[in-house]
Amino acid sequence: MTRAGNPPLRILLAALGGEGGGVLMNWIVQAARDAGFVAQATSVPGVAQRTGSTSYYIEIAGKDAVGSVLSLVPMPGRVDVVVSSELLETARVMAAGFVSPKLTTLISSTARTYSTAEKIQLGDGRYSEDNVRRTAEALARDAYLLDLGQIAEDSATFVSATMFGALAGSGVLPWDIAGSRAVLGEGRSATASRAGFDAAAQAVQDLRDTPAPVAAPPASDIPADIAEVIRLGVERCTDYQDAAYGQTFRAHADRLIAAADLSIPSAAHAVKEACRRLALWMAYEDIARVADLKTRPERFARIRAEAQMQPGQVMTVTEYLKPRAEEIADILPVRLGARIMVRVEAGKGLPFMGRGIHVRSNGVAGYWMLRLMAGFRRIRRRSYRFAQEQAAIAEWLAAMDKALPHAPDFAEALAELPRVLKGYSDTLMRGKTAYARIMAGVVRPALASGQMSDAAPTLRRAIAAALADDSHARLDETLGTQPAIPNLRSA
Amino acid sequence: MEVSFAREIEKLKLGAGETFHGEGILAVTKALLQSGVSYVGGYQGAPVSHLIDVMVQAAPDMAKLGVHVEPCTNEASAAAMLGASIMYPVRGAVTWKSIVGTNVAADALSNLASPGVMGGALIIVGEDYGEGSSVIQERTHAYAMKSTLWLMDPRPNLPSIVTCVERAFELSEASNTPVIMELRIRACHVQGAFEAKDNIAPAISGRRLLAEPAPHQYEQLAHPPVTFGHERKKSSERMTAARAFIREHRLNEVFDGAQGDVGIVVQGGLYNALIRALAELGLADAEGNCDLPIMALNVVYPLVPEEILGFAEGKRAVLVLEEGQPEYIENEIGTILRRAKSPVVLAGKDILPMAGEYTSEVMAKGVGTFLRDHLPGIGNQLGDTAYAEESEALRAEAQRLLAAPVPPRPPSFCTGCPERPFFAALKLTQQEIGPVHYSADIGCHAFATFAPFNFGNSILGYGMSLASNASVASFQQKRPLAVMGDGGFWHNGLLSGVTSRLLNGGDGVLVIMKNGYTSATGTQEVISSPDPALKLAAAEKSATHGETTIEDALKGVGVKWLRTVHTYKVSQMRDTLREAFSTKFSGLKVIVAEGECQLERQRRVKPIRAKALAEGERVVRTRFGVDEDTCTGDHSCIRLSGCPTLTVKTATDPLKTDPVAHVTNGCVGCGLCGEVAHAATLCPSFWRAEVISNPGWWDRTRSRLRRIFTLGAVA
Repeated sequence: MTRAGNPPLRILLAALGGEGGGVLMNWIVQAARDAGFVAQATSVPGVAQRTGSTSYYIEIAGKDAVGSVLSLVPMPGRVDVVVSSELLETARVMAAGFVSPKLTTLISSTARTYSTAEKIQLGDGRYSEDNVRRTAEALARDAYLLDLGQIAEDSATFVSATMFGALAGSGVLPWDIAGSRAVLGEGRSATASRAGFDAAAQAVQDLRDTPAPVAAPPASDIPADIAEVIRLGVERCTDYQDAAYGQTFRAHADRLIAAADLSIPSAAHAVKEACRRLALWMAYEDIARVADLKTRPERFARIRAEAQMQPGQVMTVTEYLKPRAEEIADILPVRLGARIMVRVEAGKGLPFMGRGIHVRSNGVAGYWMLRLMAGFRRIRRRSYRFAQEQAAIAEWLAAMDKALPHAPDFAEALAELPRVLKGYSDTLMRGKTAYARIMAGVVRPALASGQMSDAAPTLRRAIAAALADDSHARLDETLGTQPAIPNLRSA
Repeated sequence: MEVSFAREIEKLKLGAGETFHGEGILAVTKALLQSGVSYVGGYQGAPVSHLIDVMVQAAPDMAKLGVHVEPCTNEASAAAMLGASIMYPVRGAVTWKSIVGTNVAADALSNLASPGVMGGALIIVGEDYGEGSSVIQERTHAYAMKSTLWLMDPRPNLPSIVTCVERAFELSEASNTPVIMELRIRACHVQGAFEAKDNIAPAISGRRLLAEPAPHQYEQLAHPPVTFGHERKKSSERMTAARAFIREHRLNEVFDGAQGDVGIVVQGGLYNALIRALAELGLADAEGNCDLPIMALNVVYPLVPEEILGFAEGKRAVLVLEEGQPEYIENEIGTILRRAKSPVVLAGKDILPMAGEYTSEVMAKGVGTFLRDHLPGIGNQLGDTAYAEESEALRAEAQRLLAAPVPPRPPSFCTGCPERPFFAALKLTQQEIGPVHYSADIGCHAFATFAPFNFGNSILGYGMSLASNASVASFQQKRPLAVMGDGGFWHNGLLSGVTSRLLNGGDGVLVIMKNGYTSATGTQEVISSPDPALKLAAAEKSATHGETTIEDALKGVGVKWLRTVHTYKVSQMRDTLREAFSTKFSGLKVIVAEGECQLERQRRVKPIRAKALAEGERVVRTRFGVDEDTCTGDHSCIRLSGCPTLTVKTATDPLKTDPVAHVTNGCVGCGLCGEVAHAATLCPSFWRAEVISNPGWWDRTRSRLRRIFTLGAVA
């Protein structure tokens, strides 16, 4: 037994459907053949061409190995090169065992295309990029992590070209870089491909010559962080209403600081996060705020940049607005707003409200209509919603006041509670319901009994549950509410 | 069609002495022409779509050669095409995705197999099994055995595959039996090379017509009493002839090895992965030279008892490597050995997994166990456990470092897909009326079973959704919903679903996604695909708008409640759905959800736009975006859309810790974001920008006036 022999060069490409992974595979095969090597490649695209994960596998045998039996399936721990177009796909390849410290050169784009599972969370569902990077550094023999998507965009080409350039530039292919470059062909799109190829090859060579320094985690300076959040909060509230409102925010923040022992890390963190949530809460989005933000010159500049507007082009901007009676009540004086809300609760509403309207915000009429709406800021302090929000803020601040000195861990969780107040209309209503349920079911009982530290994990779980889904199914589970039984009807 | 095969068509014309470089399934296509086929048919589906697609695009060349090409409406009609070879000495081939396609074709296959064929008949199936598969996991092997069709499973390299195609026709003719050739997904897509031969123009074809039809011969009908004779012939004359041919032409291959005390019998398609496994164990080299004797079965049904016994002779034990369940080949080998009173020990599924792909890793483990049992001198020195530990350790270490499981990334609706808005509307409808029983189907719309939509209570096959809830309707308070595509509707749904429901006067709601093509398989045409005139008239709009073949068919069979709604009208779709679920009308309610496949529409739009831009004409480009100042990061828009270009990004606002919604440059301006924001009363953060290139005098003037009258704010 024990036969010696050189295994072929084994290359695994990981990509998303529609990114041109097949093109890249064919380029590699062509370049290998041109250089006199025996190459075989295959893939399992299936329906993955529709943006799902997909992979391609290539084996390249020596020039004299005409009779080689090449495999169609990669073996864990036996892949020489992995090239990946996206960081989460790199994680997937590593989780399947294809990256080995003994032999694998890993070339991965650091670009992210978030998966649906990451995007649909009410909070932040993004996969940890730091963990992927760390895993790559630990598991690959050589890891080259660089933003191949950005390099492609800069060269006006596709990621397949920069993946190929990075692969060729890494020096793992048994033929020279010119041989790879030659298969890109002629024509205008080939010129762009070559530019991307060259840029990526150079970028990998730079990485090889001078490995990227391992970035130290930023030093944490809690008092400075708190000061920064407070500065931003004052700025936000001043911009939202007026200087006095900014000072109201500062007063609230000072009260939180006074209640806490900042030498306890959890207390300091609680104060910082509470100030952050407080600023966002105080600057809640009503019609006046939205109209104001939508008519600022810097906003139109941002849209021009985002829409990649070129000189000589003109642009129109349309808003999708659907103000309901509730939003109108929000910005009217308390008594008027309350009367409208009585109508709303009786199912009546207001004429002309609750219909979708298209507003040309960079048109003359649309612009001035929005400016008029923005003017409601002047009566905001007397408005229906303002009164409601200030009352809720006051209750929360009082709870924070009570929790900070005695149970910093509970305060830390409580600081995050306003995070469930998100969105507009139905989404906001669901958030307010969740907030009220957690207040009633967890916070108030804990404050009353004084058993705050015991309740901290429950509170943290409840907030996570409220952010887990729209239907509040997880929240029901966490708060121990009876789950809805299937709607059975006796025949 | 999604892909252009201009370069591949040139490869089909290669002659003797030239080298073909390309994909496995296209090598099969070339081999068909080299074998002198008169006709080719099939139904699209990964991994064999390219066979039919390339031939359809090469229609003029095929006509020159005299080869008739027919993309069929389903696999049953493709299988029935092979009926031409029963009475005429013509070669023909058909193709589809298996197991599902073979299921649909089963009736025709039985009736074809019974009388047998005069001309060579070949069925090329994409064995959609294991990683990358999109169907239930079953084997085609069972069909070969029960209908007495021969089954080939060639070694996965282009010369072997091409040789097998050519031999398959000869085998078919020598034994009057149709032959199935199964190719796994990776074999269909493998890039390799082979020495081409000249194409052969068939002796009987569209260019060389027969003057007279075949005479009436009752013997050739699948009809009693001759079917009894057919059955006897299958197991006697035809089987005998086939086995003789297989032996004589050495279709199965034996590779000798020094350790003759044991041997391995393997399906041809697994051979390469086996060699890699043996190399890992130190028992084979890169060229396939191996210490153990290997019998590679390129024909897996029928087996040739003499070959099996010859291979087993003098061995202590034989290991059968057979992918999928149950172990048909192993059972047959067991019978052969037992009947011959052979003392050879048989091993297989007792030490290897019953289910799942036989990768090199799986086979290395199995071979290791086998050798320790039966050849301990070598088995005990193997490094297979070291490899198993190494790969396990790699996975464990990766998972430890990554800390959290990697989120799945299934395929989803394309950017601008017209089916997505329908599912947003359905989600909104269900928020009002509560969940309804949802019968899902095969096609792009099955992506709605994934997040963020998570729809579906069952999938029962292609075009079967409506049929599958016939009895559900009888015990549900709310009407059940069935969704199918136009592909599924024409494949099966009209007959199995619609007419059956009408015949029985049943209630229910059916939604037909009319996007104009069988999009999931590569946008092949169906009978209701918009014709060139409609496409020309539609320009940048949806070309399915004026196409009413589906509606006409539904009215023709007697559907009384029928609505056609453009999918991008989300509010209107929601209202129509609400009405369908609440109307007093009892009976089948059909909503045709119309919107042309975005892939096809973009293919038409791009050249139109490029030309207009080049000629200096006014062109409007639409793009959506999200105001991150007003976005609160609740992502409810994403949960109603799932568009690839509607994603998240870190907020620029340092106070916001949760990511905000963001539209990438891939946006095609389909308008769903705005429609959903309105229909669901989501939030005011979406904007639509219309960027006008080569603006006219009035555009420029208006732009200037806007700047002046907004005091420069909108600049």
